[in-house]
Amino acid sequence: MIEIRFHGRGGQGAVTGVRVLASAMHLGGRYSQAIPQYGTERRGAPVVAFCRVDDTRIRERDLVHEPDIIVVLDPQLSRSVDVARGLKDGGLALVNHPGSYRDTGLSGNFKVATVDATKIALETLGRPITNTAILGAFARATSIVEMRHLEEALRGELPARIVESNIAAMRKAYEGVSEAVDVSKLPKRVVAVKESQEPLISYSRDVSDWRVHRPVVDRGACVGCQRCWIYCPETAISVVEGGVEVNYAYCKGCGICAEECLVGAIKMELEEE
Amino acid sequence: MKSEVMVGNKAVAYAVKLARANLIAAYPITPQTTIVQYLSEFVAEGELAAEFVNVEGEITAQLACLAGSIAGARAFTATSGPGLLYMHEALHGTARYRAPIVMAVANRGVRTMGPDHSDMMAQRDTGWIQLYCENNQEVLDTGVMAYRIAEDAGVRLPVSFGLDGYVLSYTAEPVEVPGQEEVDEFLPPYKTEYPVLPETFDEDIERYKRHWAKGKSIDEPFTPLAADESFSHLTMVNWGGPHDQQWRWRSHQEAMTRAKQVIKEVDEEYGRRFGRSYGGLVDEYRCEDADAALVAMGTVASTARAAVDRLRRDGKRVGLVKLRSFRPFPREEFRRIGADVDALCVLDRSISLGDEGGIVYNSVRSALYGLDERPTVMGVHLGMAGKEVRVRDIERIGERALAERGGAEPPVRWV
Amino acid sequence: MSGVTRKKMSIRDIPREEAMWPGNPACQGCAGSLAGRLVFKALGRNSVRVEVASCAPGFMNIRVPSFFSPAFEGAAAFLTGLARGYKIIGREDIVVAGLIGDGGTVDIGFQGLSAAAERNENVFFFTYDNEAYMNTGGQRSGATPYLARTATTPVSRVSRGKAEEKKNMPMILALHRVPYVATASVAYPEDLVEKVTHGKGIRGFRYMQINAPCPTGWGVEPKDSIKVARLSVESGIWPLYEIEEGHFRLTYKPRELKPVTDALKLQGRFRHLSDDELGVIQERTLGEWERLVGLDGKELY
Repeated sequence: MIEIRFHGRGGQGAVTGVRVLASAMHLGGRYSQAIPQYGTERRGAPVVAFCRVDDTRIRERDLVHEPDIIVVLDPQLSRSVDVARGLKDGGLALVNHPGSYRDTGLSGNFKVATVDATKIALETLGRPITNTAILGAFARATSIVEMRHLEEALRGELPARIVESNIAAMRKAYEGVSEAVDVSKLPKRVVAVKESQEPLISYSRDVSDWRVHRPVVDRGACVGCQRCWIYCPETAISVVEGGVEVNYAYCKGCGICAEECLVGAIKMELEEE
Repeated sequence: MKSEVMVGNKAVAYAVKLARANLIAAYPITPQTTIVQYLSEFVAEGELAAEFVNVEGEITAQLACLAGSIAGARAFTATSGPGLLYMHEALHGTARYRAPIVMAVANRGVRTMGPDHSDMMAQRDTGWIQLYCENNQEVLDTGVMAYRIAEDAGVRLPVSFGLDGYVLSYTAEPVEVPGQEEVDEFLPPYKTEYPVLPETFDEDIERYKRHWAKGKSIDEPFTPLAADESFSHLTMVNWGGPHDQQWRWRSHQEAMTRAKQVIKEVDEEYGRRFGRSYGGLVDEYRCEDADAALVAMGTVASTARAAVDRLRRDGKRVGLVKLRSFRPFPREEFRRIGADVDALCVLDRSISLGDEGGIVYNSVRSALYGLDERPTVMGVHLGMAGKEVRVRDIERIGERALAERGGAEPPVRWV
Repeated sequence: MSGVTRKKMSIRDIPREEAMWPGNPACQGCAGSLAGRLVFKALGRNSVRVEVASCAPGFMNIRVPSFFSPAFEGAAAFLTGLARGYKIIGREDIVVAGLIGDGGTVDIGFQGLSAAAERNENVFFFTYDNEAYMNTGGQRSGATPYLARTATTPVSRVSRGKAEEKKNMPMILALHRVPYVATASVAYPEDLVEKVTHGKGIRGFRYMQINAPCPTGWGVEPKDSIKVARLSVESGIWPLYEIEEGHFRLTYKPRELKPVTDALKLQGRFRHLSDDELGVIQERTLGEWERLVGLDGKELY
């Protein structure tokens, strides 16, 4: 049996991705299982989904804790989520990343392959939804599923008007995926500790890893109208002497504050690598 | 103490009045309807100080009682048959919240009006305490005792008590009504050590954090949440995930176990104070030298006593185990009784379709499984949909039980 | 209360103190979370909250005791029990409030809600209206607007989204003759907070329906969440008013409305609309607005 874990963000299609993969592997004559994450899947929040494949009917119904392969749909996830947790020795990490295996920051007794699925998705689909593109890279990097089965599975899953562009994305990623390189010699990088030190008991969770952009306030331009403060869905902005302050531990990067600021004193900037 | 001829529904209303329940929310349904009417009269006449909510349905009745209880009220509701089924999800809610409310159920079928136990049996697994009464005196007494059991600090579970529809709810017989002062001594006002108020909110969270159960394995010793600490709004939100939620089920089960002792003690105390008690979890009638014993709940048990007397008069050594507490189920009592008789015949006023025999029958058999020497256990379905259960029917069953003891396992029968 | 003009609030009048911790698991740009924040900011911490199955349990960071009603339909029932119970223990000062989604209000919750209104229970029922069952993936509710695409009113050859109009809950409840009913929008926080503060001082059954865009379900960029809410008000799609003991008053009354397309074109759930369909919506919206303008300052009953 081969066990696979997908890492993504809510809204990026991790759940659909594992289902298409499971369908494709079944079309290839094997048994498969696609397990979405339990719990609510909020847009932007890190999510996981699981897949198993075997030659006989799979009986295990628990989650995948020791994957053979991990697939990471978002280049910044590994900064704050331990995506390689439990990855078996000799396993494979397939990462959506514009850079090379070194840039992913992953190290351990496994190999890393990268593909710039975001770029491919933007070019072929016009949107940064990477779950289909990465399946093409998956086929090439793992050789456990065939492209023709993936394509057939996609045709069954997606509405007709977007099937062809998604297949094109898959094929591009198939061509564009890097070699898988052993990263056991690379220095260990500690997964970034969350910014908030407050005891967490579900009331306040550190949501900083939801962000792709962060709001940056220009104090000089701020006129103190407090619109950003009142429109923040959940008190991540406070009014302080001379302006406002963002609590980045609790900012999801939704962009409302920047949008509602009437004087352009708030800009959304890409999170640092 | 004054004694009055009254129908079962009135006995319920008196119990609620004596217990000084101060939040009543109930929806009328035959044959419970007059409980609600009597209570609204008591409130209107100033005999009972209570918030009376004229709800539009049973779910609201149950939830209003649950919420009122959380806020600090002593809450009461009553229903029957379909009304009980309608509030099923809400019953789970009350039990999960460990709210000590009391509910009277005029037992009746789901699609039929006549009495049987299918309504309460369908709530078997909700986590409510279930007591069954055999006459109107017991109805009143159990209603008063119910709050003592529910509110006990080691228990904190909702209590339901059943009275057979029509046969008790609309049948009149003499009932002694205890005085208010004596009841006040027996049952002090409802008080919770951890009221849920806005100002206790921050404290609640700290308390919860201390008791967060983290990843206990099957071998680790179990530390139950104190009863009151389970009772907080925090139990209902998905705090801590499945670990904690599973822990709460376990904690609830522990409370059910403790309830066995509490039910016995409360019954004994009631007996000392008021001169009437009901055997705790089971009442054994003429079982001392019995060769066979009948097992019954509710009014069937009452009729069975008469049948047992007739059998005894004819020299047949048959006794009766009146099962008072169906939940928690008195396994230990049945093991003891089962070791001393050759046959047990369980009279079920219910059925679990798809499995052999009635629900009590299966519980009794399961309780006896561990005995080295087991009695023959027989099962009979009777009285479903209000079918009349006659003394001679039970006599014949008793004779059969004697005849078949020690033999091959008999089939389940219908009377 | 009729005839009394209350002081208009500005952002600076809004209490600075928060009744919500930051960092909940709601989606980016969730206006339901903002609605919760504003409501409890105005009510203050001497209140309790009832929630049912909806996105609201995700706003778990609201700093008042929150009770999850064990039955989806039971919001109003639970509120009833709390109000009665706190009364019994002499704590009628505690504001008993519900923060309920539109499904738990207009569909499965309707029966209990109508009854609680009819009994004039002393509770404040807030509906954050994202116009569908968003927590479970965006299925239509009775509050979904005409022609909106949802998971159960898809757009296809034979279906153009929801075929029915949005259920008019505020008017329905006003006709129960309750003391206070209001509509509000997250884009008008001063209006919302002022209404909540006013309603807090009224005894009996109070209802407020807050239009709360759901970026995920409406197909809106998270950053445009407030903008869409504002345009919905400015185009007359979601009028702001209050009804106090039957006296109707518009609280936002522009001389001219913006075209509905301004609001609708930002939303993916309306992307499929033809010009004709947009025209129908425009016409109905305008007609409804004019009716309300005619009702302004008058008695409903």
